[in-house]
Amino acid sequence: MSELENKKDENQEVGHKVYEVGYLLVPTISPENAPAIYGNLKELVLSLKGEIISDEMPKMITLAYSMQKITTSARNKFNTAYLGWIKFSMDPEEVLELKKKLDLDSNFLRFLILKTVRENTIAAKRFVHRDTRRSQLHTRKEGEGENVVPINKEEIDKEIEAMVAN
Amino acid sequence: MKQDYFSANNIKHIDYKDIEILKKFLNPNGKIMNHRRTGVTAGNQRKLSAAVKHARFLGLLPFVAK
Repeated sequence: MSELENKKDENQEVGHKVYEVGYLLVPTISPENAPAIYGNLKELVLSLKGEIISDEMPKMITLAYSMQKITTSARNKFNTAYLGWIKFSMDPEEVLELKKKLDLDSNFLRFLILKTVRENTIAAKRFVHRDTRRSQLHTRKEGEGENVVPINKEEIDKEIEAMVAN
Repeated sequence: MKQDYFSANNIKHIDYKDIEILKKFLNPNGKIMNHRRTGVTAGNQRKLSAAVKHARFLGLLPFVAK
C-alpha cells in the first residue's frame, strides 16, 4: 500500500522529484540482518537512477496497534517492527517500479511513498528556537533591564501550555 | 493554543515522523482536534491531518486510543 501526497518540491535535476519512503520491516528479521535489508533498499534506489538525500537506519519500535501480514497463506500478527526511512530524488516513472518491487518484498510489513522536499522536514528546530529566544532575552537584558519581566511571563505561559498539551 | 503553533515555531513542513509534535493535536482518544481548539491555520490544519494519518498508517500513532 502506498499514498502519494501533493507537496511542492524543488527540482534539482530535470524531471527528478524528491520522494520519501517510510517503511516497516517485519520483526522476525534478526537485528543483524536489518542493516542488510536497509543496504539493499539503498542499492535498489540507486539502481533506479535515484539520488539518496538522507535516510535513517531501521530501528525497532512498538507499534501503536497490531498489524497483520499474510505470508504464504499464514496470517501473522505483529506488535513490533523496524521503522526506517529514506529520502531520495528520482524520476517519477521509476518510482512506480520501486513501488512494484517493494510490494513483492516479503521483508516489508508496510511502506509509504510520499512526495516531499529536499530540506530536512524533521523539526528538531524546536530546541534551536528556544536557544534563539534565550539569546534574544540575554541581548535585551543587556540593553534594557525593565522589559525582562513581561518576556519571562510569556515564556512561562508558553511552557505551561506546552506541558498541559502533553 | 491561540496562535498557530507551526508558524510560531517556524515549521514549514509537518513531518509524519515527528510524533511528539503531532501528539499535541490529538485528544485522549487519539482523534485529531478541531481547528478551533488547535488554533492552527486552515492550510496547516490540512497538512497536520495528513501527517497524522500517515503516522497512523505506519503504526506511529493509534487510530483509536482507549
